[in-house]
Amino acid sequence: MVETGRQLDQLAGAPVAAPARQRASRWRSLDDSRFFPTLLLLPILIFFVIWNIIPLLWLTGLSFYRYKVTSSRPAQYIGFDNFVEIFQSTTLWNTLGRTLTFMVLSVGLATLLGALLGLLFWGSTGMPGRRLALTLLFTPMILPPVAVGTFYRLIYDPTFGVLNYYTDRIFGRTFDFLGNKDYAFAATVAVDVWMWTPFMILMTLAALGSVPKAELEAAEVDRLPWLKRLRYIILPHGKFILMLGILLRTIDAFKTTDLVYLMTNGGPGNTTDLVGLRLYRTGFEAFQMGDASALAVITLLIAIAFTSIYLYVLNYREARAGLR
Amino acid sequence: MKTSWKHHLYHLLLWLIALLFFLPVLWIFLAAFKSAGELVRWPPSWIFTPTFDNIGEVFDRPNFWAYLRMSFILSIGAVVIALVVAFLAAYSFSRYKPTGTNFLMFLLLSVRMVPASAVVVPVFLMYNAFGWGKTLPGMLLFYAMFCIPFSLWILKGFLDGVSLRYDETALVNGGSRLHVIFRVVLPQVKPGLVAAAIFNLIFVWNEFLFNYILGGQGSTMVPVLLATGVAEGGSIDWSFIASLSLIYMLPPIIAIYLFQKYLLVGMTFGTVRGEV
Repeated sequence: MVETGRQLDQLAGAPVAAPARQRASRWRSLDDSRFFPTLLLLPILIFFVIWNIIPLLWLTGLSFYRYKVTSSRPAQYIGFDNFVEIFQSTTLWNTLGRTLTFMVLSVGLATLLGALLGLLFWGSTGMPGRRLALTLLFTPMILPPVAVGTFYRLIYDPTFGVLNYYTDRIFGRTFDFLGNKDYAFAATVAVDVWMWTPFMILMTLAALGSVPKAELEAAEVDRLPWLKRLRYIILPHGKFILMLGILLRTIDAFKTTDLVYLMTNGGPGNTTDLVGLRLYRTGFEAFQMGDASALAVITLLIAIAFTSIYLYVLNYREARAGLR
Repeated sequence: MKTSWKHHLYHLLLWLIALLFFLPVLWIFLAAFKSAGELVRWPPSWIFTPTFDNIGEVFDRPNFWAYLRMSFILSIGAVVIALVVAFLAAYSFSRYKPTGTNFLMFLLLSVRMVPASAVVVPVFLMYNAFGWGKTLPGMLLFYAMFCIPFSLWILKGFLDGVSLRYDETALVNGGSRLHVIFRVVLPQVKPGLVAAAIFNLIFVWNEFLFNYILGGQGSTMVPVLLATGVAEGGSIDWSFIASLSLIYMLPPIIAIYLFQKYLLVGMTFGTVRGEV
């Protein structure tokens, strides 16, 4: 940051006026108090305790109980039974496995497509109407998942959906994308990939932007072949941001709930049932709050693990780049 | 010139890719202007006589304006509260580095990474027990909490980039701490504030599950209307869904057009910065 003494004086100059100075002195005792840093933190701590700590304790506590909201029976302490049930339930393991498959496929495809298109968009600086084009390109990721889940039902519709019109023209047949067990999962992944490829394009562009220009110019001068440029110059510099993008996407894919809830509601059968949705249905359709809490505790632990990995990569990058 | 010709072709290709991604959205936008018969027509039509009846019908729905108003109130209210809370905390974290800073930031972020349906279970029970469920303050403060982690991360990142010498110079020149915080440091993290505001606005604006479960008569937003419009009965009123989607999706799209340079910071909660 460039700063001159004069600029700083101007910035700090305002309180020299008399009333302001009086006001300042009234605050002075507060300023110097060692409680001041804590005072600034007070609002966030209140939020943290009420909306994080209390629910967290509630959740952990309830995961040891059998409790159905709609029944008049009081919650019954059952120890680790909820967890045991979860670990013994094949449906749940299937759901976890399906979520994992969803994450791998969706993130993998979005990353692949995003990286390729990101490379393609790298030189787009002089493109006419670039801002509008990028807005259109990035639109999918900022849409309400509820709306996306809903309107894809129109697009996928087996009788009048626009997609089936084109499959009919090209392959000579229509598909019941969301109603058929064989296609529903793939159709869901496709929507998620459509929604989040733009994000990976964004991250790829950021990663490419972090490659030092001098090294690229040197490669240009040396006439380094494209693949070698990618391998020896672009990847070493860009890989961290790309990695952060992949991790963020992984976390987000793990969270997917609204989209499948609106698009398929887990069906047909259980073919598109993901963890987030399963949790919702356990808690708010079956009202089994004990089971839901136990499952929530598990997802919380998974989320903490993901976040740790993310921050580890972030810190590693910052330490490497000498940012800290 | 040959290179210029190639260049045009390249730009055209990029435009086509952008349009391809926008195509499904465009299809819904078109559907909003189709009559009921046109909507289910086979083959589907790209060109047709537009009608504005669907949009008018959405405006005439009894709940629409109330829900839309709530979308504005909740997203703006929550973001304002979150920014104030997060900025004060970020200043404290950045300048005083109290013990537990990293741990608290980590914990706040982790909670934001949990599926919504897991977060909502205990909050639902807590709200029921305290009688906060279905109330506007309950919903508003919950969303504020929802916005705090990303705001905190974005603002802390920006504050760490503001040299301590600004604080010191202002203090030496007789400014109070509050003067330093609000008049000297705050103006320098404006981009961070904008990024945090825009992206949290979009998050709350798009949020459905919390609102569906914790919201009540006076605190429900449009996404719930969209979702319940589907669930009610077997058949779906596509004209209504399409026009409502059009109306509701326009503000975020306009926002990313206007604030495109904040997109990267916003989507990565400040952990990645740069030009795109």
